[in-house]
Amino acid sequence: MADLQERKIKDAQMRATINQKLVETGERERLKELLRTRLVECGWRDQLKAHCKDIVQQKGLEHVTVDDLVAEITPKGRALVPDNVKKELLQRIRTFLSQQSNI
Amino acid sequence: MSVHGCQHLSAFKAAKGTDPFRIIYSYFIACPSADARRIKAKSCVCHTCRQPTLRLHACMYCIYFGCYGAKHIHEHAKSKKHNLAIDLTYGTVICFSCEDYVYDKDLEDIARSFSQKPSLNLVSEYLKDPFSSWEPSEDELQLLKKNPKRRKVDAKSTVGLRGLINLGNTCFMNCIVQALTHTPILRDFFLADRHTCQMPGESKQCLVCEMARLFQEFYSGICTPHIPYKLLHLVWTNARHLAGYEQQDAHEFLIAALDVLHRHCKGTNGMSCSNPHLCNCIIDQIFTGGLQSDVTCKQCNNVSTTIDPIWDISLDLGPGPPAFSSHSTPSPGGTGFTNSPGNYEPTSLLECLKRFTRPEHLGSSAKIKCGKCHCYQESTKQLTMKKLPVVACFHLKRFEHSTGYHKKISTFVSFPDELDMTPFMSSSRNDNNGFSNQIIQDMPTSLSCDNKYSLFAVVNHCGTIEVGHYTCYIRLHKDQWFKCDDHMITKATITEVLNSEGYLLFYHKQILEYE
Repeated sequence: MADLQERKIKDAQMRATINQKLVETGERERLKELLRTRLVECGWRDQLKAHCKDIVQQKGLEHVTVDDLVAEITPKGRALVPDNVKKELLQRIRTFLSQQSNI
Repeated sequence: MSVHGCQHLSAFKAAKGTDPFRIIYSYFIACPSADARRIKAKSCVCHTCRQPTLRLHACMYCIYFGCYGAKHIHEHAKSKKHNLAIDLTYGTVICFSCEDYVYDKDLEDIARSFSQKPSLNLVSEYLKDPFSSWEPSEDELQLLKKNPKRRKVDAKSTVGLRGLINLGNTCFMNCIVQALTHTPILRDFFLADRHTCQMPGESKQCLVCEMARLFQEFYSGICTPHIPYKLLHLVWTNARHLAGYEQQDAHEFLIAALDVLHRHCKGTNGMSCSNPHLCNCIIDQIFTGGLQSDVTCKQCNNVSTTIDPIWDISLDLGPGPPAFSSHSTPSPGGTGFTNSPGNYEPTSLLECLKRFTRPEHLGSSAKIKCGKCHCYQESTKQLTMKKLPVVACFHLKRFEHSTGYHKKISTFVSFPDELDMTPFMSSSRNDNNGFSNQIIQDMPTSLSCDNKYSLFAVVNHCGTIEVGHYTCYIRLHKDQWFKCDDHMITKATITEVLNSEGYLLFYHKQILEYE
């Protein structure tokens, strides 16, 4: 039990460190840009945009908030991300982390 | 959802101006310097739960960061009555009284001014041209109003398909024109009207301008065949060796066309800053690859490397010299790959490429002066791809012009619709002469898509070396194939394409790197 607790804390620390490194080096922005490009390339963005438009048209512009849209499209958005995009991003993050000596 | 801000934001701006937004934006969103990034990395945590969560928001009234997911920013807004906060990822403002994000022109202008600021910084490279949707300028709006007709392109539309009239043995030109006009990245360049003529006053002589007009013709929606007489005339005047009504080689035409296009693009186009020897014209950006040649001295193992720009890769067919000893493992699953001397005939594109990038022993009759041992030595030479072009054209040398005889090699050479060039890269080359076999075997499972290509055009030749006819298969959208036979265009299947003889194969990179 104590082990599990300890591990959780360690994991959280590690996550914070990694996050900090990603931001500091600018890698986070580069990854975001890469992801953005890939999602545009594979049509993900267009699909989601069309979906959002449908929702807005259905409910009427005045009756829809960003929160509503986020709640509705998140499951679809997650499901539509192609596997090879996820793999590529994971690979990039791995490569980045392996280059960081002081983590 | 409001486009013109809200009363709460207007009241805030009246009381405090736009500085709070500007400060938060510059320090935590734009982050133009390494210092700013360090501060951002340290301080961007939720002040309540101390986690670096997603969708962190900053209060616009006081120094407080809270996460959106766990509603810490909501709690803060409610308890302190601070109803405005900024999303630290995108820089948009949320109003908790209106319960939604609000969009304000002044604030958006500030955000834009940050993203357009030129900076030498690494991170802000992407900020110079951030991802944003197209906003038509005044002129463009006028043009759109003047031309109210819109054409929708969907997965079934055939816009871009147009036959070309044969002007007297000009099928060699027609098939290349079809391949070029259906090169996705070249099409995007021309349809986006990105060419500025470098031959002012004589733009009628500019082949690039003619290409631009040709793209307009192809994508105008007109279905009747186009008559490319202007193009032919320009080719005749610029590439004299192709003039006349004789049959010509499509490959020769391709190279001549690229050369003329490249020459007409130049002028003030400037040179790429990363490599002064490399032209940054559209032709070079798309078609130029780097071929690395490593010559290894047999005596001292000294390697001398040169890199040459190439527009196409010409591959030998027919029986060739036996494979080099260090690379004699038959390809896994390869068909008819034999290494017995004199009987080495590649039957697939991959085999051709393997042969192309195989270390070649330069015998005793071709000794090269070694830079290290300063005398003429026997050596081995190996070609690899240093830099891959965006569009790779493979030229299967079907026309053999040896001393005394000319013949056409009609052997079927299979080629894939998806090609991974990783095993033929210089980076895959082993230091001790040749590739590590592991890389070639691992190829199908290769994770990265960086070096992957898709087939988009195939030029075929039927007939003999003296007389024949060129046709071309081109791809539309992702998987629709059409056969272009001068003015006739018919639907084709990928099987037909892959079973065709294949003379010139055009592959497009699946993923583009951004400089």
